[in-house]
Amino acid sequence: MTVTTEPAARRRPRSGRAPWEEPPSPLGAATKAVLLTLLVAAVLLPLWVVLVTSLASRETIDAAGGMVLVPREVDPSAYLTIFNGGQISRAVWISTLVTVVGTALSLTLTVLAAYGLSRPGSVGHRGLLFFFLLTFLIFPGLVPSYLVVAGLGLKDSIWSLILPSAISVFNLVVIRAFFLNIPGELLDSARVDGAGELRILWRIALPLSRAVVAVVGLFYAVGYWNAYFNSVLYIDDNDMFPIQRVLQSYILAGQSPSVSGAAVSLPGITAYPPTLAVKMAVVVVTVIPAVIVFPFVQRHFTKGVITGAVKG
Amino acid sequence: MKPSLPGVSTDRRSVLRLIGLGTAATLGGGTLAACSKEAGSKGTATKADAIRSVLPTYKPAELLKPDIPGEGPIPDGYLAYPRQLVDAVTEQPGRGGPAIRTMSPWWGPTPPTLGKNSYLAAVNAKLGVDVDPSLQDGTTYADKLNAMLGARDVPDLLSIPNWEVDKIARFSDAAKALFEDLTDHLKGDAAATYPYLASLPTGAWEYSVWGGRLAAVPFPTDGPFGWALFHRKDLLDKAGLAAPTSPEELHELGRKLTDPAKGVWAFGTVFDMVQQFFGCQQIWRKKPGGGLEHKYENPAFAAALEFTAKLFADGLVHPDTVSSKGADEKQLFKSGKIVMYQDGLGAWQGMQSEQTKVLPSFNMQPLPVFGANGGKPLIWGSEKPIFFTFVKKGLGKDRVGELLRVLNWCAAPFGSREFELREYGVEGKHFTRSADGSPALTELGRREMGAQYTHIGGRVPVKVRSADTPNYVQEYLGYYNKNIGLMEKDLFAGIKLELPANWSKLLQPTEDKLRDILRGRRPLSDLEAVKKEFFATGGEEGRAFHEKALADNGR
Repeated sequence: MTVTTEPAARRRPRSGRAPWEEPPSPLGAATKAVLLTLLVAAVLLPLWVVLVTSLASRETIDAAGGMVLVPREVDPSAYLTIFNGGQISRAVWISTLVTVVGTALSLTLTVLAAYGLSRPGSVGHRGLLFFFLLTFLIFPGLVPSYLVVAGLGLKDSIWSLILPSAISVFNLVVIRAFFLNIPGELLDSARVDGAGELRILWRIALPLSRAVVAVVGLFYAVGYWNAYFNSVLYIDDNDMFPIQRVLQSYILAGQSPSVSGAAVSLPGITAYPPTLAVKMAVVVVTVIPAVIVFPFVQRHFTKGVITGAVKG
Repeated sequence: MKPSLPGVSTDRRSVLRLIGLGTAATLGGGTLAACSKEAGSKGTATKADAIRSVLPTYKPAELLKPDIPGEGPIPDGYLAYPRQLVDAVTEQPGRGGPAIRTMSPWWGPTPPTLGKNSYLAAVNAKLGVDVDPSLQDGTTYADKLNAMLGARDVPDLLSIPNWEVDKIARFSDAAKALFEDLTDHLKGDAAATYPYLASLPTGAWEYSVWGGRLAAVPFPTDGPFGWALFHRKDLLDKAGLAAPTSPEELHELGRKLTDPAKGVWAFGTVFDMVQQFFGCQQIWRKKPGGGLEHKYENPAFAAALEFTAKLFADGLVHPDTVSSKGADEKQLFKSGKIVMYQDGLGAWQGMQSEQTKVLPSFNMQPLPVFGANGGKPLIWGSEKPIFFTFVKKGLGKDRVGELLRVLNWCAAPFGSREFELREYGVEGKHFTRSADGSPALTELGRREMGAQYTHIGGRVPVKVRSADTPNYVQEYLGYYNKNIGLMEKDLFAGIKLELPANWSKLLQPTEDKLRDILRGRRPLSDLEAVKKEFFATGGEEGRAFHEKALADNGR
């Protein structure tokens, strides 16, 4: 008897339940199913509606009175329209460039700074850390930031979208806390073997913190992809707009501004707003990269958040 | 969609200054109040007499006799496109100066930039100098402006919408420090050098004076009314229903039109129009015994609020409008899910043209206005120009002359070749000519044009018949000419007001509370409490400010 039951207990039974767990009541199971379905629907439904509307014809949209829930046909004309002008593809390219270059740069800077600040003996360690933390409390104003960026000649270049937000102190603190918790003995043993600080960081500290670095990388990447306001300030050249800026111009097109309770009649401006399908097509284009990248990082994501929570 | 960037507010800047890091904040000399209004701002008012003495002498430049002349601030209407065009500008405006950088607002996808845009190339060739436009999103224009003005980094020509100007604290100071004083170039008969700028209405120029000096070229409005209550006349006709002539009939009509089972409701947002039907002023009116009365104190406002709240309570308003501020009422209206909603008259032609392609019978019309309880309605409006174009300071007399000649070209009137090129581009490329001779934009035209020249040059507004909306000009001007007599007189016309900060920041929260009453989230009886709070926390200050401005001008 014992010989046969032991492996069975170790192996998960097909129901996915451990032997000491009771089967759920039908009501419990049903409630759970309904709740989870609702949750999933809450996430997927908006995406679905956006996708379907972007592929709907003008007649379908008018019949639905706006967003379309049930697809009646696949009409790619909205996508043809937006990729025809070249503006969207250019904006996607610029956003991709900013995201890739920005994330790489931010990660490098953050990891280096965090490691340096996590070593007790490093030069000016306390002062620098205090200085970093101070930026949590005191932010530069709009005008000084603008003056610095303009003064460095960064206006209308992708660097104006990267450098002002290259280091997030929050992320730096998270990574630093992680580095601090790596056992000192490990680092000492590397030192005994003759490794310098950079080698220790590269060979010991980084491999141990892969999860947190992945998560911070994701934070940065999403931040760069979604960044919008810096481009409002620093980009005058319409050809340099990142995708979020273009998205906004499509979504809000044709809405007459209203001023102290009266609409402003803008000659010619509201004449040819993009159709709802076109607007939604731009939304789809904007969302796709995040949807593609997220599953690959997700594995680290849960892990990273938990490690950060316990060790931070 | 409020942009959020850590550290973008005046408050934090004050903190900076406090702890002695303020040098960065005030880099570059002066201390222009760049961000939002400072709490201490008491507002200023420039006297009307000082304004009148610096205005250009008005000299109309009409090339063609209008078919439907517009009264006062109403544009002239033309029912046919002229077969013969005239050269309005004989001398090339550009003298080979460097490219002119401009910035103007735009509400929509931005067209390609200089070098990739054949429309810009065509117009620039005509101008003899390159105009290099930067179109910035109109909804976030204020953020951009604040940074630019604060950093003193402005383009050669900068177009600013009037409502953004009102939001910028101490704008007179900014104008003086950053923009060329145009008084000597354009005052009195000097304006004759730029005949089409001189043809812009004096009513618009009056608003272009800051600190007693002429600081900008105005872009006059082509429709002074704030709102119209649009209705789907095709749907009413189909149902055999007539336009209402009283609030009671409007309510009754709403009940007949609403059919939730079919997903149809009578109304979207209508409150501003209802206030006008009830004869309520937009903000202030003179009390018979002297002093000013705010609209909240007018019994007509309470009546309008009660009436509209009843529309909500009776379920005649579309649920999207009930539940959110940002319902896409245009789309609901196009689809016939709502039959009436208020919008600016600027929305009319575009929607009519667009929807006729899908539904030939589509017919949107402003509802004829009517009064309540036998009274007369009042229509809100103003002759305030839509935009102002400022010239960068310190470019030298010759360059300013070149810029003004370019603006003059951009203001060329209807019937000229310049007008056609500016509004429609090149024939065969950006537009094709319909059978009646009127231009219709091509796909390329729509993509490449963003009012790059129109928005900076003022221009005398006109309405021209176009093939896709054949009745629009008559209907538009018909509505205006019929109702212009009902338009409220602007007590402050020609007085430049920079409103006290306490007043400005009070408006939105109060509106939000009133919206709650409309939607039935607060009882109607709360109006008294809302009013009381309004006057206690800045309303009275606003009243004193406005009364003083009138008294100073002897009105």
